[in-house]
Amino acid sequence: MGRKCLDYINDLNDYLDGELDPSLCEEIEKHIGHCENCRIMVDTMKQTVTLCREGKPEKLPAALEDKLGGILKARWEKKFGK
Amino acid sequence: MVKATFLNRFILYFYLMNESELIKKAQAGDFEAFSALVNASKNKIYALALKMTANPQDAEDIVQDTFLKAIDNIEQFRGESAFGTWLYSIALNQARAHLAKQKQTDLKPIEDYLPARSAEELHREGVVHLFDWKDPHQKLEDEQLRTIIDNAIAELPAKYREAFLLRYIEELSIKEISKIINESVASTKSRVLRARLALRDHISKALEDKYGTEVS
Repeated sequence: MGRKCLDYINDLNDYLDGELDPSLCEEIEKHIGHCENCRIMVDTMKQTVTLCREGKPEKLPAALEDKLGGILKARWEKKFGK
Repeated sequence: MVKATFLNRFILYFYLMNESELIKKAQAGDFEAFSALVNASKNKIYALALKMTANPQDAEDIVQDTFLKAIDNIEQFRGESAFGTWLYSIALNQARAHLAKQKQTDLKPIEDYLPARSAEELHREGVVHLFDWKDPHQKLEDEQLRTIIDNAIAELPAKYREAFLLRYIEELSIKEISKIINESVASTKSRVLRARLALRDHISKALEDKYGTEVS
């Protein structure tokens, strides 16, 4: 039973991302039911992605926003003409 | 007021046409079509560049250089991927150039992220080696948590960081990422998994420290 932890770890992303074969999912869920380490591993890997997705979305700074159009326009005209 | 009107024209332009029509027009020399494509992707490119470099000035340079390179090479885009995916490839090349001077380390092998190498030790009745985070939001302030996460991402070697960000922040498929980073699907999958395990490991150690010293 112990070596199963090592076997499962390669499938954990597919399992957590809902991309694993249902029969393997069932096997992992059964294993998690009695393996506390793997239960914590699955839970904390899930939380890892959730935490990384949190926070306010980054926006282009206003100063660059203001000048970007002009910079791109100049390059565009150099390439395609006015 | 003038700027708002200018911006609104791009927004209107974008909604009146789909992406492939905009690309065709841009490739034919229509700057407004190109600007609509820029407006649709600039914040995402900036966010990716900022997470890759952890440096706002570098991220701004990457955004600017990405769109300049897109202009230079617009006719080479053949629509085999989404336009945004093509821009990500350019942006990541720019980011790699910015990170080239940093020493790149590799991550440990996947099996080393398990708490013990011995199966017997791992499954001894009642023995738990992994730290259980419970709900970090209940234990730490948002700002403390944000710092831990940002540090964890910043410490990932670049090739793992980009794979993780494209998969879980930009939500691209493994196949799309494999094309962007020019690796096989199997290798891309492995990078994403190792990045996630390394982040988990880093966050876990940081939370264990914080829970022990700052939380009653």
